[in-house]
Amino acid sequence: MNSIAVKDLQKTYAGALTPSLQGLSCTFAEGTIAGLLGPNGAGKTTTISILCGLVEPTGGTAEIFGIPQTPANREAIKRAIGVVPQQIALFPQLTAYENLRYFGNLYGFSGRPLREKIMQHLEAFGLEKAAHKETGRFSGGMKRRANIIASILHEPKLLVLDEPTAGVDVQSRSMILQFLREYNAKGNSVIYTSHLLEEAEQICEEVAIIDEGKLVTQGAPSDLIGRHAHCRNLEDVFLHYTGHAVRD
Amino acid sequence: MLRIIATIRKEWLLLRRDKAGLALLFAMPLVLITVMALIQDAPFRDYQEVQFDILTVDKDQGRLGRYIREGLQASGQFQVIDSLNGQPVSEEAAKEMVGEGKYKISITIPKGATAEIVSNANKIVNDISKRMGLPAQLPVKALSNDSLAVQLYFDPAAKKAFKSAIHQALDNFLTQVETDLLLERIQLQLRNRDSTQQDTFPAIRLKAVALRETSVGEGKQIDVISNSVQHNVPAWSIFAMFFIVIPIAGNMIREREDGSLVRMKLIPGNYLSVLSGKLLFFVGICIVQFYLMIMVGLYLLPQLGLPQLQLGVDHLAGFLVAASIGVTATAYGILIGSVFKTPNQALNFGAVSIVILSAIGGIWIPLEIMPEAMQHIGRLSPLSWGLDAINDVYLRNGHIRYVLPDLAKLLCCGGAMLVIAAMVEQRRIG
Repeated sequence: MNSIAVKDLQKTYAGALTPSLQGLSCTFAEGTIAGLLGPNGAGKTTTISILCGLVEPTGGTAEIFGIPQTPANREAIKRAIGVVPQQIALFPQLTAYENLRYFGNLYGFSGRPLREKIMQHLEAFGLEKAAHKETGRFSGGMKRRANIIASILHEPKLLVLDEPTAGVDVQSRSMILQFLREYNAKGNSVIYTSHLLEEAEQICEEVAIIDEGKLVTQGAPSDLIGRHAHCRNLEDVFLHYTGHAVRD
Repeated sequence: MLRIIATIRKEWLLLRRDKAGLALLFAMPLVLITVMALIQDAPFRDYQEVQFDILTVDKDQGRLGRYIREGLQASGQFQVIDSLNGQPVSEEAAKEMVGEGKYKISITIPKGATAEIVSNANKIVNDISKRMGLPAQLPVKALSNDSLAVQLYFDPAAKKAFKSAIHQALDNFLTQVETDLLLERIQLQLRNRDSTQQDTFPAIRLKAVALRETSVGEGKQIDVISNSVQHNVPAWSIFAMFFIVIPIAGNMIREREDGSLVRMKLIPGNYLSVLSGKLLFFVGICIVQFYLMIMVGLYLLPQLGLPQLQLGVDHLAGFLVAASIGVTATAYGILIGSVFKTPNQALNFGAVSIVILSAIGGIWIPLEIMPEAMQHIGRLSPLSWGLDAINDVYLRNGHIRYVLPDLAKLLCCGGAMLVIAAMVEQRRIG
């Protein structure tokens, strides 16, 4: 079973001159930590948005655990998937606890079970002392960690993270990566996008590199590195496929 | 239900921590209403409670001058002044002081005015007597080439309506004096003809039919609409309630920008329940706002010397009107928050559009005194529907059935705005 499978995925936004996705096809096996990599504008966020049901594709199909992403299946997919957006999608005027309680309520949790769940996650992410502090006053790392907690309250089988470690310090990054490993060890699937290729190489069992809305290569990081004699790491592989031209 | 309650609690926490937002929603409208009611009190009182000083120069010293003085005093709106510093006012001095704006009006009763009226009455009675074959006995003055006139001087800044009201009042007094004197002369002539019936001769009744004003409402004060509090408190309350579009639109755009909207949409369950919680919360805030402002009209403004706000007889109807206005205002905020991409665009458009809708909707000045074309346009403004409904309840003592058409318009308009907002959001997904 694949955690995700996209086939010939196409998307052209209204008014856009060029398509964002031009027949992207790729699959990730269930229970793996997979990386969706690509330069700016490659189509990573559009792919994730289609997988979550936030954007309708112009063509092609997307499946999550074999369920086609259609309006009829949207609720079932939402229950199976947790998305950590790149932005800190929390209310800065609310405390971490209030934010998590609100999103927990939206997931249908309430009362003591929710309280315990929140406190457990806050503790796991080292935020228990800041539980009643407004998130607007958090450091970058604290915000990122709280952002992740808000997406895993319903314990999704698939966790999709968009740049989860952008702008955080070494300690926070280490804590986040450790959490991803542990979450994956429980049998859950993780897909994440990042520009930090060293980090992807370190954590991902499989990566897909996409560019200009198409898949350019896919495989385990070590396999991809081994395919090209001049490539010493994933960054070299990335540059080999996507070139050195700066993207806007 | 949990999602709705959670959203209401979240919105409450967000608002509670937004001091500027709280001030915008509650403190500023209270100040606005108080200031507007105080400022507009004078124009509303112009022809009712405010007493104007009127300079009178009575060169006649007869019955006409007395009637005019007594009539003006009796109206309660004028203070007749015929001497300054113990000296009678001269016509020249009066003209000068009115010209300088120290007084709004001066009246000069010419010498011989009463005698002229008496002579004219005598002439009429003599003519009638002659035609009836009776002797014409009453003295008549020789015809004068110069017709006498009561001379009026107005402050150049006096309003046209004020001048017209004074003209009408004085014309009334003149007619009254002339009629009274004519009737007196007729009685006198009749008495002269048959002096034996002098004591039993019935008095001629001047007014056979009187005017009487009766309220069409139930126990309503007829003049209540004419005061500043009764117009300003409901009108500016509606205006302030519509200003809720600013925090709503700002809040929605911020949620979209910081990604929390995406998070909410990714959570299983209909996003409409989140939107419903938001709608209920802000409608609740609108109702609280409205009743706070009503309390200003009930308790604070009377302390400042203004009349107390009258609330009509059907309080449930008043509540439903406030809630319906709240629904429309909140829906408008959600629409603006959905359509505009940046807080600046939304806030500027929101504020300016409310000012325009309120101006054409009769919030600033009543619709009735606007040009006809503007009245038609104004009746399309939701603020005018709200004000109409409030006036139906507070001024006409209307019950729910009186306000149903306006409530239906407000709720339909709110519903339409929510549908458009949903379509805009839907289009974004595409």
